[in-house]
Amino acid sequence: MNDSKLVTINYSLYYGNFQALKDINIKIPENKVTALIGPSGCGKSTFLRSFNRMNDLIPGVRTEGSVLLDGEDLFKMDPVALRQNVGMVFQKPNPFPKSIFDNIAYGPRVTGLKDRHKLEEIVERSLRSAALWDEVKDSLGKSGLELSGGQQQRLCIARALAVEPTVILMDEPAASLDPIATLRIEDLIHKLSENYTIVIVTHNMQQAGRVSDYTAFFYTDETRAGQLVEFDETKTIFTNPSDQRTEDYITGRFG
Amino acid sequence: MIGERSSEITLAHTAKTRNLKTEHRVQKFWFSLMWLFGLITVLILILVIGYVLVQGGKAVNWELLTTPPKGGLSGEGGISTTIATTFYLVGLTLLIATPLGVSAAVYLIEYAGEQSLSSKFLRTMINIANFAVETLAGIPSIIFGLFGYVLFVSTLKFGFSLLSASLAGACLVLPTIIRTTEEALLAVPDDYRRGSLALGATKWQTLSRIVLPAAMPGIITGIILSVGRVISETAVFYVTLGGSYRLPTSIMDSGRTLALHLYYLAMDTRAFDKAMGTGAVLVVMIFLINLVINLISRKLTAGVRKVR
Repeated sequence: MNDSKLVTINYSLYYGNFQALKDINIKIPENKVTALIGPSGCGKSTFLRSFNRMNDLIPGVRTEGSVLLDGEDLFKMDPVALRQNVGMVFQKPNPFPKSIFDNIAYGPRVTGLKDRHKLEEIVERSLRSAALWDEVKDSLGKSGLELSGGQQQRLCIARALAVEPTVILMDEPAASLDPIATLRIEDLIHKLSENYTIVIVTHNMQQAGRVSDYTAFFYTDETRAGQLVEFDETKTIFTNPSDQRTEDYITGRFG
Repeated sequence: MIGERSSEITLAHTAKTRNLKTEHRVQKFWFSLMWLFGLITVLILILVIGYVLVQGGKAVNWELLTTPPKGGLSGEGGISTTIATTFYLVGLTLLIATPLGVSAAVYLIEYAGEQSLSSKFLRTMINIANFAVETLAGIPSIIFGLFGYVLFVSTLKFGFSLLSASLAGACLVLPTIIRTTEEALLAVPDDYRRGSLALGATKWQTLSRIVLPAAMPGIITGIILSVGRVISETAVFYVTLGGSYRLPTSIMDSGRTLALHLYYLAMDTRAFDKAMGTGAVLVVMIFLINLVINLISRKLTAGVRKVR
């Protein structure tokens, strides 16, 4: 775990007076899949959104401590530049009401790329990486909204890849998909981890076990502030957790 | 047990004594009455429109549509310049009102929320603005006319002109444009905004490339509603546009719209047939515009259904 892509140091987050995250210290390794698990309301999604500063959009949010991307404090970066480097896939597929092509070309276009030829190249490459190219290559002009749920989610992944980020955040990316579409997304996540650092929030223990290299277990005590209980290789977390609460959660005793 | 049995007896008793025949007769009476009133309403509507179309239709011919009015008490001549003036005024009014109204709505929906958090003063101003928009939508149009007369015609010395009239007309339709645009923006799912920002787009890029295009059908509906409003308006333009029957050659010229011409013909001349003819043209114009509104809003709702 020497190559840490994302590091948090005594990181806390407040919604107004309510503390949602408390003193979180974690080192997320580069080009691996890290799963964030824990019961509902433990702050794992809030924590995920810290890495691309989407929490900035929520009124009244305040943070303490620091979050580093490649050793640099990301609260000192321009959020627009940061989000080009740290992509995100949401729980509910959210393609824009545009064609498949325009959905994927959107990211490169906002950075100023106009060259049609280059855009076509990026669209094809992104769709191939997201394992969607073969299904849509003949209908790139079709609206993204006409695709199935699973295809829409892979479109959203392709859209995130087109901006060439180094980190991809996924907030329960398969929560609204059927089991087959879920497996395809999981395969994809596995493949993408060769080139990208992936952080994924999931409620599904099996999924965390299947796709992730590392797992972080979050939990809240009576103060309701989310804390990091344990972070280790997924194997270790699932077979030999060092904290009793982790074991109770994994084995389904609560949550 | 005893109580239950006695209530059974009473129910059986009422079923026997109930006079269903009378009750059905009462029902029939009320339904007939409602049906009759409904019919009367529709008939009145058909009568008004039918009368205008039939009576006015006799006076409508190519000559009426293509020759300018001659003015004077006889009401001779056609209505060509008034049709042109109507289009000028609609165009100019929307040219002023659309950018203002759409921008105001975008500010109120997309920016005001986050800005109002940081400043109590701003929050108060925004609440006042929202309240004003709601109130303005219900104010009688002659008030806008008087306001336009005082401010644009006399104080700013624009005189009776297309400019004064379109400025006053813009005040009249602004609430409509703001409200419809606000509703269209609110109907755009937040998922789109988040998705765009997460891709490294700025707030402005998100607005101009994703949110506004998605809200466009609703915004256009608001603009078309405003077109209908300007075409059928008389009170505002009576006191701001003047009444010249000549074709305006600049925005500082006076003029009269179809609706205004109709008013003059009916009140100041003996050319009642021409007034009816003008009325018929106006009715047809408004009918066509409503048709377009319906087609567009149907397309709009179909699009929304597809999104969800």
